[in-house]
Amino acid sequence: MKIRTLLLILPALLLWACEPEIDQFEPSAGEADFSVFVSVGNSLTAGFADGELYRYSQENSFPNIMARQLGYVGNEIFRQPLMKDDLGFGNRLVLGMAEDCQGNESLGPVPAGGTPDPGNFESIAEDGPFHNLGVPGAKTSHLLAAGYGVLNPYYGRFATNPSTSSVIGQTMALDPSFFTLWIGNNDILGFAMGGGEGEPITPPEDFQNYYGLLLSQLTANGARGAVANIPDIASIPFFNTFPYNALVLTSQPLIDMLNEAYNELDHISFSFGPNGFVVSDPGAPGGMRQLVAGEKLLLSLPMDKIRCEGWGSQAPIPAEYYLSLGQLSQIEDAVESYNAIIAQYAKDLDLALADANTMLKNAKTGIYFDGLEFNTAFVTGGVFSLDGVHLSPRGNAIVANLFLEAINEQYNASIPLVSVTKFDGIIFP
Amino acid sequence: MKKIFFIVFLVLMAVNTSFAGGYQVGLHGQKQIGMGLIGTSLTMDASAGFYNPGGLAMMPYQFSFLGGASAINGFTKFQMQGPSLYQADTDNPMGTPFYFYGAGMVTNRLAVGLAVNTPFGNSLAWEDNWAGRYLIEDITMMAITFQPTVSYRINDFLSFGAGLVYAFGSVNMNRALPVQGPESEGNINISGETGNFGFNAGVMYSDREGLNIGLSYRSLINMEMDEADALFSVPQSLSTSFPAENKVAVTLPLPANLDFGISYQVNRELMIGMALNYVFWSEYDTLGFDFLNNTASLQDSYSPREYVNTLIFRVGGQYMVNPVLYLRAGAYFDPSPVNDNYFSPETPSLDNLAFTTGLSFLPMENLSIDLSFLFIMGLEKEVTYAPDNFGGTYKSRVYIPGLGVSYNF
Repeated sequence: MKIRTLLLILPALLLWACEPEIDQFEPSAGEADFSVFVSVGNSLTAGFADGELYRYSQENSFPNIMARQLGYVGNEIFRQPLMKDDLGFGNRLVLGMAEDCQGNESLGPVPAGGTPDPGNFESIAEDGPFHNLGVPGAKTSHLLAAGYGVLNPYYGRFATNPSTSSVIGQTMALDPSFFTLWIGNNDILGFAMGGGEGEPITPPEDFQNYYGLLLSQLTANGARGAVANIPDIASIPFFNTFPYNALVLTSQPLIDMLNEAYNELDHISFSFGPNGFVVSDPGAPGGMRQLVAGEKLLLSLPMDKIRCEGWGSQAPIPAEYYLSLGQLSQIEDAVESYNAIIAQYAKDLDLALADANTMLKNAKTGIYFDGLEFNTAFVTGGVFSLDGVHLSPRGNAIVANLFLEAINEQYNASIPLVSVTKFDGIIFP
Repeated sequence: MKKIFFIVFLVLMAVNTSFAGGYQVGLHGQKQIGMGLIGTSLTMDASAGFYNPGGLAMMPYQFSFLGGASAINGFTKFQMQGPSLYQADTDNPMGTPFYFYGAGMVTNRLAVGLAVNTPFGNSLAWEDNWAGRYLIEDITMMAITFQPTVSYRINDFLSFGAGLVYAFGSVNMNRALPVQGPESEGNINISGETGNFGFNAGVMYSDREGLNIGLSYRSLINMEMDEADALFSVPQSLSTSFPAENKVAVTLPLPANLDFGISYQVNRELMIGMALNYVFWSEYDTLGFDFLNNTASLQDSYSPREYVNTLIFRVGGQYMVNPVLYLRAGAYFDPSPVNDNYFSPETPSLDNLAFTTGLSFLPMENLSIDLSFLFIMGLEKEVTYAPDNFGGTYKSRVYIPGLGVSYNF
């Protein structure tokens, strides 16, 4: 009797609940309404990466990643003004082997080549309305400007009417219930990326006015939202890849020759080992000087000019390729002021604040997601794309999570985060 | 000669084993499995040579031979920490640990025996492309031990025994590398084999009226692989950063065990017992990979494991229905040796609560067919591998049916 019972129980036990179950996380919208979700901002919002806005980079924009997660808590549609292909306007970079002026091959960002689909340059306004209103290149004031589509083809291609509509007007036509706003970066980067030679920094008082105007419209109908602050350039690879003193001299005759050539400029001298590059500076005696610790060379610096044309040693590096200590402190002050303004608005309007600045600051020394280390190193760090300013798909996933965490906290929501390693990093050939 | 011996065994049984605290496996005898894996105080056959060499000289037969195997069907589920809908499952290959014991009384006080079994192993495969793939994709490791044993009975009450242990171990593991090519992600495969010696010694007391007390100690064996194969598959442009055929030195400790057991024959039919196993897991503090060829992108890695010693508590018993049929039942609690902050998905060892049952059927006087069934519940717990910030909730279920045959005369 007992054997028979046991023989019946054994296979039953085997079949019974073979796989363990863990209670699933329960998403909830909390106090917010995500039914009409819009994202307003610049290239970071648009999904710009690798020097271009292209279809795959748009699909991996942080707002698109967020929208997928917001789908668990009531969002129904999130439409983006997608390019027709992965070349966009034709400036995309990929990792590849490039030959330098000395004939050495090395791995680095190279133009993707190819001919973009002509459709990328045509208006797709009819396919709208669009929920991602990120416009590459946009400064804060640009979002308010009627007719901005005429000046900026990235907006022109999806503006309802390029010569009359504004980004904010087009946004409000959707009657959003929830928004993200990440703007202000270009108000500073325009200055910083041009080595201080191009556009001036938007004064913080002006930024405050524009920002306030944007938020008063966005929140006018009771919409909730999240804003992100501005990352300090100390954590952006574009400004932190070439060391100021990468002029490494190991040949005494060459050192002597250089010192001889500069013997009329006492403040310029060379010694064995690393030396500060010689740069152009109208304020210095002779209109040139050497870089000092803390100053930054930009990623836009053409390396072949250094390798083969004596830039930085025999000839000064033009001012558009470096940031002086004075310029850096202007930038730092502006980032600080902007971020204080953004934080104040977030507080006053009960908006979630995604602290991108602190996150990237921490990433400088390495942050871990899904068992993987990320940092802000160029190409290898995993956060930034090949242009050194915009995010990789994984970087976008990290930022999407940053927003979602801030929203969860601000609105008592439970929106599931994404698994960062599900997204692509940099693709190596 | 020895080599041939190993190979024969390896061919006979494609062994992968898994599941007990850490990577220790407790499946060394169907009778013991049926009784909650108690064994330290039992002298019923040649399996004592492994469980407690001291008891071998007290076995009630002139000769004893037995062998068997279990089939491990283990399932682990993972839920990502924080607000996340991400879950992953293991898709483990079935592990089949086995044992073989033979022993004989040379005189009426001296016994000799041989024990061959698989006291350590891990066979784990997470689902393809899972979130923790940079920590582990899959791993198969096992150790087979060969233990010649002598045991001497001083008087009716007390006997001692000891055995020399040779452990043969192998490992094969895959991890994803965070370098992505146009088609696929990078990968590292590490595989190797090694062997080393240890010992097993014990003492057994019997009051000859049904009470048995046993104490045994199995030593630490360090499985040191100096030149395991490290095979990299990475995008072509990174091939110089990750030399395709590299070597790596890895060491994995097989920790020492101190076991204590008491059993009591209540009457002719019923025997009950308990055992305490103290496992010196703290030996496993770091998992190091020391590559022969390092590059700027390929540095040696040392990952903390910080295991803690554990005490396993076991109870079990056996009931003789008639001389042809024995029934068994037992349970044990095996706390996780893994530190909550260093919980790696490569050995997702939880606090295990297990229930066991078994039976023996004797179609003839000397022959016993032994069946066992073990059900292990890995208790749900939220843990993390802090150095890589990889955390979540794990839960496991393991189902292990087993079959053995013993012949005693």
